[in-house]
Amino acid sequence: MNRRAALSGALEVLAWWAALMALWLVLISAPATLELVVGAAAALVGALAAGGARRAVSGR
Amino acid sequence: MNGWTVAATAALAGGVGATVWGVATGPLRRRVVAQNLSTSLACPSLLLLAQGYDRPSYVDPALVLALLGPVGTLVFARLLAEDLEKDPPKAPWLTYAASGFGAVVVLVLCVVGGPDRAMGKLLVTGALLVGGNLIASRALAGGIAGSRHG
Repeated sequence: MNRRAALSGALEVLAWWAALMALWLVLISAPATLELVVGAAAALVGALAAGGARRAVSGR
Repeated sequence: MNGWTVAATAALAGGVGATVWGVATGPLRRRVVAQNLSTSLACPSLLLLAQGYDRPSYVDPALVLALLGPVGTLVFARLLAEDLEKDPPKAPWLTYAASGFGAVVVLVLCVVGGPDRAMGKLLVTGALLVGGNLIASRALAGGIAGSRHG
């Protein structure tokens, strides 16, 4: 994997993470520090899975 | 009893009642359309009830229904693909009317509630509801069978 592919992959995971974090913030009842930490961690796992799934279906 | 609960009761009794009748009687193409429409009518009713009782947490069942209802329709579309291919359901106006009802309810509740995080949750629910139902009805009308052959 060259640097350009690594950069685009990282940007994709970042975009997924931002979208999932926004969804989390909308759906929780009251934003607290613990909620934000748990949400950020869960969104990171989801973002990595979403990026992998998209690469799998796009056949690259 | 207020206007919200009256509207929810009307949608539940008239709309969901009609879809239960549609699911229980008639040919297959009518039953699958009625099953798909039941989500489009029950989910806005739950949103109206949440507003009527002033319990924001009651929005959660509507969110879950908006997510799982179209998924359930996709399961039926997949299982019944061969039967539906011979006699495909065509009810575009009913589908658009039910989706429009859901969109109108979500927009009205957004306007009443004002801009806050609850409005974002309502918009997510509405997008899942309308988008999911349009995709599911497209799958019922031959989208899955078409993509499998093509």
